[in-house]
Amino acid sequence: MNKKKRFHISDALTRGLRDTIQIAESNTDLFRNVVLPLSRVELDPDNPRQLAICLKDVREGIDPMDSQFARKQVELEKLEELAFTIKASGLINPIVVYKSGEMYRVVAGERRSLASILAGKQEIDARVFSEKPKGFELKLIQWIENTAREDLSLAERLDNMRDIVKEYQRQHGSVELTATLIKSITGLSLSQSSYYLAALQAPEDVQCHIQNGNIRNLDKAALISTISSADVRSQAMAACLQGASLKQIKLVISQQKSLHKNKLPLQTEQRGRTTVKIQMGSTAKPQVVKTMVDSILNQSEYNKYLTTFAQVDWMDLRQTTKAFRKLVEILELEMA
Amino acid sequence: MKVIAFVNNKGGVGKTTCTKLMAEYLSKKKALRTLCIDFDPQCNFSHQYLQMEIDPVAPEGLMPPIHPDYDPMDPEDSGWDGRSSIAEIFYGEGVVPYPTYVDKLDIAPGHAEKLLTAESVRRSEVVEKVHKQLAGFLNSPDVRAAYDVVVIDTSPSKGPLTISVIKAATHIIIPSVMEEQPVQGIYGMLQLWMQESLLREKSAPLKLVGILPNMFKQTRLHRDILESLQHSDAIGKYVLPVKFSQRIVFAEIDAADSAPRSIFDFPDQHVAKIEAMEVCSQIAERIYHE
Repeated sequence: MNKKKRFHISDALTRGLRDTIQIAESNTDLFRNVVLPLSRVELDPDNPRQLAICLKDVREGIDPMDSQFARKQVELEKLEELAFTIKASGLINPIVVYKSGEMYRVVAGERRSLASILAGKQEIDARVFSEKPKGFELKLIQWIENTAREDLSLAERLDNMRDIVKEYQRQHGSVELTATLIKSITGLSLSQSSYYLAALQAPEDVQCHIQNGNIRNLDKAALISTISSADVRSQAMAACLQGASLKQIKLVISQQKSLHKNKLPLQTEQRGRTTVKIQMGSTAKPQVVKTMVDSILNQSEYNKYLTTFAQVDWMDLRQTTKAFRKLVEILELEMA
Repeated sequence: MKVIAFVNNKGGVGKTTCTKLMAEYLSKKKALRTLCIDFDPQCNFSHQYLQMEIDPVAPEGLMPPIHPDYDPMDPEDSGWDGRSSIAEIFYGEGVVPYPTYVDKLDIAPGHAEKLLTAESVRRSEVVEKVHKQLAGFLNSPDVRAAYDVVVIDTSPSKGPLTISVIKAATHIIIPSVMEEQPVQGIYGMLQLWMQESLLREKSAPLKLVGILPNMFKQTRLHRDILESLQHSDAIGKYVLPVKFSQRIVFAEIDAADSAPRSIFDFPDQHVAKIEAMEVCSQIAERIYHE
């Protein structure tokens, strides 16, 4: 067993070498990660997010004469919170920019840029696109960056989505907007996509509430938008505005719907054998039958049957069923 | 203008020898106007071509000699102490390359103290500046007009000096001894290459010419390690098909009084010259005819 010693480089090192080479080789040149001086960063006026506060306000302070002073002051306070975390632990995700002349325009990361200035930073980590992303990609990047954020209102998210769809249709011709299409553009789940679709196509009254910020929740907006009857919709909306949960709103809708259904002329399909009898339906509530019996016996011509039903135990379903049959029998007899 | 750098953060793998051979090959055999740069504070490479002097400020550090063109009487040279190293780029001074005993080959020597200062900066803004400085210098119109190719010897580190070279280079070669620790140095350099590649635009890539087996001995250790690199799917294609063997002659010509001074002046049949021609032409082939 006189084996010669063999040498090789360790598996860990081989793996490290291979992975490193593969990353370097697969550089697609889509974007580059760099450190940018903040002085060369500017905001994109077309960004769907509408912060009132601008670079100048952050650098030089907000002008007290500014008509939006109060709003900007609130925004500035929020930015200062972010600035504090940036000071403490730096920026976690780089901002996304593209080169525009001498400057770099922010595609995603307005708040991070402004907060970094507040934090007294001179430079910022950025992902630089070699050129301005084309309309659709640009909107999509902003969309993806923005959906991850909690502070974006539903109206802003919907505006953003509307822009993406518009841009998509501009490039691909006006294709019909479906949940599947939204799914394929944005990579959202099908159910999320259908919520967006419903909210995008919301009737005017719902749109109005979304714009005002009364409806902040996509699920609720989608649910209410799909109600075709204006009456039921306004009921559901009222419940929503009172802070009802999604489940509660659903309950309101189903109640309202059944109420509504009864108002409509009953339409039955004319298929199969000719209908010669009326099905009286069924109920689990004996009270329903008791109410019917009582109201009929109340009429003077049926008074005489009062004793027939005197012994019925209205809590017992069998007895109640018998009683109902008896009532039908009596009615048929009287009307014969 | 090509900028070729030999890099490995492990010392003693033959960066200086490789740089010297490549610079002499390009200037002597390819007749290219070549500038070689010593970016290692140890200044060993500069010592090959210049009589480096002890820096009185830092007794263990070397500094370039008085430049042959320096004339204290010339008003143009007033305000210049007559010495010029590549480290001047960090101090806003001009760099005046020195001629060498090889025609068409100039050297921008190192300056121990000044390079060490640049290497030791840690404040992020300053590090940024150091990183960009060499690229800025080599991209200047003067340098581009004067030279066809630049060959750089680097320090055995992954610090600001090496990163500065990586940022300025168009091509890098990683010489390595076929032993575990120097191969780890390959990994360190590949990391820098990867990071830099991700920052580069496609039109100005940083090409990895390859891993050059150096100081190779026909021992089981060297053969096995070489083989395991060659047979690794991703790494294999970057292992150059040529290598420098462990030869005492490569060390002997470093002595200032050796004759001839260059391997390329040896007789054509000399085994060291044959090897140098093979390796350098292979590298040149990969750089100029890819």
